[in-house]
Amino acid sequence: MQVVSAVGEAFNNIVLHGYEGRDDGTIEMEIRTRPERISIEMRDYGSSFDPTTVPPPDFDSLPESGLGLFIIRSFMNISYAPGRPNVLTLTKTLDTQMPDEVHSDDPTEGAP
Amino acid sequence: MTFSISTTEDGLTRLAIEGELDAVSVSDLRGDLEKLLARQPARVDIDLSRLRMVDSSGVGALVSLYKRVRAQGGSVVVSGLRDQPLAIFRLLRLDRVMVGAEVAPTTPAPKSTTSNN
Repeated sequence: MQVVSAVGEAFNNIVLHGYEGRDDGTIEMEIRTRPERISIEMRDYGSSFDPTTVPPPDFDSLPESGLGLFIIRSFMNISYAPGRPNVLTLTKTLDTQMPDEVHSDDPTEGAP
Repeated sequence: MTFSISTTEDGLTRLAIEGELDAVSVSDLRGDLEKLLARQPARVDIDLSRLRMVDSSGVGALVSLYKRVRAQGGSVVVSGLRDQPLAIFRLLRLDRVMVGAEVAPTTPAPKSTTSNN
């Protein structure tokens, strides 16, 4: 579920931002799987946009945009290399400790 | 994605969304949400019990609806979240804001303390 959500968000970001204003564009996807790891490389030829430099949304203001990137970064590790093509790599290690994983054991923790 | 909007005489509007609400399908919903907002509903109940998948575009549309109804003096309550949509709402910390107490899937609330009606 997390991989599907993250890849969907990344795909949409490329279409909406990388290829903004265009009717067509190419996204190449390469999926590599191992027993403990899945890696999805997405290559596009649109505008470069480094998602690793964007700060997280300010949740107190109930943002309506910028959420996709947060979803991607919460669910998978991310790396980005701008160029032709731009190369976005999403990686998830399964059933082991994720250094940047958002734990959702108790989502009500800290609720007012 | 399919959806239905119904309104009762006492100003309660019910929006039910089924299937997948994403960057593509959300455009089918926007026109009807504008009509809904034009009626300035006192309360909007959003039933997501049959929503299977939501992405950030879908969430953005629901947050926008929430903010605009509230700005008009109305209230919005989301119910029925499960599976992927529930995980997304929790991740984006919307479960604390938009979800009715009756569906919070944690400790059952004592009868007398959390009535929100």
